[in-house]
Amino acid sequence: MKRSRTAALLLMSTVPLLLTACDSDEQAREGLYTSVDACVAQTNDRSTCEQAFDKAKKDSAETAPRFTSREQCEASYGAEQCAERNEGSHSFFGPLMTGFFLSQMMRGSSPMTGFTSGPAFRDNGGGWQRPATDAGGVYRSTGGTTAMVPVTATPNRAVTVSRSGFGASSGARGAGG
Amino acid sequence: MRRIAIAERPDWRARAAECGFDFHTINGAPYWDESAYYAFTLREIEEDLEAPTEELHAMALDLVGEIVASEQRMRQLAIPEPFWDWIAQSWRDRQPHLYGRMDFGYDGTGPAKLYELNYDTPTALFEAAFFQWQWLEQQQMRGQLPTGSDQYNSIYESLVEAFGTIATRIARPLRFAAVRGSAEDQGTVAYLRECALQAGVDCDTLAIEDIGLSEDGRFTDLDDQVIGSLFKLYPLEDMFREAFGAKLPGSGLQLIEPAWKAVLSNKGILPLLWEKYRNHPNLLPAEFDNGGELPPGWVRKPIYSREGANIAMHLPDGQHVNSSGPYGDGPWIRQGYHALPRFDGRYVVIGSWVVGDRACGMGIREDDSPITRDSACFVPHAILEEGRGVLMA
Repeated sequence: MKRSRTAALLLMSTVPLLLTACDSDEQAREGLYTSVDACVAQTNDRSTCEQAFDKAKKDSAETAPRFTSREQCEASYGAEQCAERNEGSHSFFGPLMTGFFLSQMMRGSSPMTGFTSGPAFRDNGGGWQRPATDAGGVYRSTGGTTAMVPVTATPNRAVTVSRSGFGASSGARGAGG
Repeated sequence: MRRIAIAERPDWRARAAECGFDFHTINGAPYWDESAYYAFTLREIEEDLEAPTEELHAMALDLVGEIVASEQRMRQLAIPEPFWDWIAQSWRDRQPHLYGRMDFGYDGTGPAKLYELNYDTPTALFEAAFFQWQWLEQQQMRGQLPTGSDQYNSIYESLVEAFGTIATRIARPLRFAAVRGSAEDQGTVAYLRECALQAGVDCDTLAIEDIGLSEDGRFTDLDDQVIGSLFKLYPLEDMFREAFGAKLPGSGLQLIEPAWKAVLSNKGILPLLWEKYRNHPNLLPAEFDNGGELPPGWVRKPIYSREGANIAMHLPDGQHVNSSGPYGDGPWIRQGYHALPRFDGRYVVIGSWVVGDRACGMGIREDDSPITRDSACFVPHAILEEGRGVLMA
């Protein structure tokens, strides 16, 4: 089949969706949890938390940073925080997963669809990192290794001093083409 | 590939209203037109459109590195010098891209010919990804299309997958911005936001005019939050010369499409592709315009233009066809003339979608003029089994 199996519109559709139709506060809930219990405490959804944890655990072996020796790994991630892994006949060391991400689309307090999840690691300095894969699925591989990106939770605020600095060139039919 | 008349769904306007597709009619003229559809064979789709789209996409991406590293190339593409380093850095960082649309001339015979890459601000997305999909499902249920009909259209699934894949590389908060007064552009970003949310990526929309600037040169939303990533359905080259443009490189703002798309959304990529892949079956001859007289069989296009504006065609028979528009001050490229195919008197262009790096769908627009303008109509398509298709016709 050359077409999408579904083409669900959850947010743009004005057709009432079960009991949630009156609550149109859609957003995505993105959380970083150190355990399934911590996840349940926040989301009240044990089944999803367990599935998210299992999937993250499975992915962590593949996406965790790789080191040739335990010492190198522990230098970045701390004592007792690394494990030996094997891939075929090749062996290497990587940090243990110390948390996992779970994100879901929400309407009000109800999750709308499936979820995405992935592993997170805590480095020596206590900072959280997650793997940023840039390949797979719809993206072609660039041949590089998985990069780790720091997790920043709090958005920055700044006093706005001017607006309307973009948009002056557009015509009545808009700007796309 | 054939154009086949079909009964409209009697309730399609109500269906459009249900999903917020309110630009099916623009300024009183129809935009969505389901009084006919285009029928393709699976072979036509896979061999003549899907495979060339992926190949051309890979060829174009392979050129980016050498273009952004070359002052001469960046000058040729008329990209303002203050943005060169910023664009090159966005490529070195491999800042993630989301989508693009290639426009092809194709009539079911011979190779599809690439007219241009819409790699910065492509629209006609919602109607291709969703409304056309719904049309196929419902016309099958109504018995107007044979059961087992298909469509080249996994755009929705690919978009959700793409957002899920790049989620970790999108700085937060993520905002989608489009021109306030354009129903079409607002519809497009509303759909993209929907796909991002379904992938679990939190985000919101704002009008491009509402973007703010802080004293220290960072861009803000209406709540004074510093925007981490901005999807802008707005030409990057326009942003360059607007009031806030000069602040882009130092702002820390991550753009989607990323800054490096500036070299692909530029028609100067066409002569560069031709130079490197001369006589590729899916490319038309192209060169930078030297300002001289346009010989018969050539078309002059501004490097920056949208919606078929400011195009000069010197047809092989000596006739001249020109379109007006706001992009009159060049620079320009020339492209070998390749007539838009005609079906039932309508000129047809195929928009072939790329999400991430995957060719994943198609939208067809028809116009009554040999240059596709913003007056073109969107006409759905279906893939029919070969035997059945003949019976239908």
